Amino acid sequence: MTDWPFVLAGWGVILGGAGAYTLLLLRRLRNARQASLAIRRAADEPAPRERE
Amino acid sequence: MSALRADAAVAWAIARKDALSELRGRHAAGSTLFFAALVLLLFGFALGPDSRRLAEAAPGLLWLAIVFGGLLTVARLHQLEADDDALDQLARYPVERHAIYAGKALAGLAAMLVLGAVVLPVVVILYGVEVGGAWPALLATLVLGAIGFAAVGTFYAGVTVRMRAREVMLPLLMLPVVAPLLLAAVKATAAALGGDPFGELGAWLQLLAGFDVVMLIAGGLTYGHLLEE
Amino acid sequence: MKTRILGAVALLAVIAAAVNALLIVPADLNQGDAQRIMYVHVPSAWLGYLSFGVTALAGIGYLWRRDLRLDAVAVSAAEIGVMFTAFAIWGGMMWGKPVWGVYWQWEDPRLTTTALLLALYVGYLLFRRLTDDPARRAARAAVVGIIAAIDIPIVHFSVEWWRGLHQRATFGSPDKLLNPAAPAQFVIALVAMVVAFTLAWAWLMIRRYQLARIEWQIEEHGRLGRISAARRAAVAPQAPAAQAPAEEAAP
Repeated sequence: MTDWPFVLAGWGVILGGAGAYTLLLLRRLRNARQASLAIRRAADEPAPRERE
Repeated sequence: MSALRADAAVAWAIARKDALSELRGRHAAGSTLFFAALVLLLFGFALGPDSRRLAEAAPGLLWLAIVFGGLLTVARLHQLEADDDALDQLARYPVERHAIYAGKALAGLAAMLVLGAVVLPVVVILYGVEVGGAWPALLATLVLGAIGFAAVGTFYAGVTVRMRAREVMLPLLMLPVVAPLLLAAVKATAAALGGDPFGELGAWLQLLAGFDVVMLIAGGLTYGHLLEE
Repeated sequence: MKTRILGAVALLAVIAAAVNALLIVPADLNQGDAQRIMYVHVPSAWLGYLSFGVTALAGIGYLWRRDLRLDAVAVSAAEIGVMFTAFAIWGGMMWGKPVWGVYWQWEDPRLTTTALLLALYVGYLLFRRLTDDPARRAARAAVVGIIAAIDIPIVHFSVEWWRGLHQRATFGSPDKLLNPAAPAQFVIALVAMVVAFTLAWAWLMIRRYQLARIEWQIEEHGRLGRISAARRAAVAPQAPAAQAPAEEAAP
């Protein structure tokens, strides 16, 4: 009966941590896709000046 | 068979070069030895003054000092080339990668044995250890432990030689891998000093030897990938 | 689309298995409710070790094929694996305190080996972070991962020896559930959790792999100097040095 705090701590951190990581991962993925899109758009524009 | 001899010649040449650099190297090697002794002194302050407790802890402290000193040692042996970019030149020679690895590991082994030879008497004196007839077993443990540490250390020194924050990355990567070596070496040392009451000395030495073989092979096979860039 | 279905299935599976493990399955006679922690601890440990195996194999594959996609697999597995390994240790500690009376037990080879696995993972990820060139990073990370993987069984064996010479484990093995004598309901609950977690792992791997690929492409763009100076400044301070050889190589 006195074990439930440990059970909750164990399960809570594990499931909660996995959930947090999942949400973070989805956000990172979304940001990366947007960044990648932005690069592609910038590259497709007729580049007015070459920096090389 | 001549390929083996060629490899051995390469390894020996590299080992000799490293050994000479160590001997000429402006007290860098000596500083490491002094550091190891200092660490042992500090352990005394941390765990003392009860001499019985220190004597019991002596095997562990011995090997911790060897590990700490060893980290500096293997880092230093690779630093010699890195500073002059000689590592790249070495990589371009048409020699077998594992021969280069063997040479550097050999130099590492020599340096580790010197370290052990210095640390052991300090432990005996500071922690009141009675060696008695345990010398052969102690030496066997030292040699096997040194081989394993040199094998692993040469590899990881090669991995970290040119990276940022290498002073912390080398120990960070190496220490988990040498944990079994540390465990076995301490157990073997304790068994040797205690007269081996449970007859476990042989088993621990075998574990050390097995570790050495596995790590030497793994290091030899993969060292080449570290050089080719 | 298929990945989304996998994700949905995994989520439902985890919820269902969790409800079962927490509320439906009865408590253990000896360990009480604390034993329920095993239902998350064991799957986490399994995934931690599985991920590390994937990292090592992907590393070998990279050294063989030099395909950076394999490196993306390796880093994905490492990142997800470090998380599950940390969960496994946390679960082990939360189980240990009520059952053993202590959070940590040196003589349990699984706990200590998993702790070392965590250390190896963290080292691997930190090492990757400090190396900029993708090809060099992939090759070096591969060998680091391989040596680390070789070390794991050695560690486990050593710790078992360590323990065995002192006393037989009177502390009781955490995974009583894996014994053939365990009640069927417990075993089913555990298997359900393992399956559910593994599905979730697979979904996470796919998403993390996608992220790794996109990040690599972004990195490549940066290296070839097609990104604006602002982004370059936002990336590592190494960037200026990396531009010079890249500009020589670029057409």
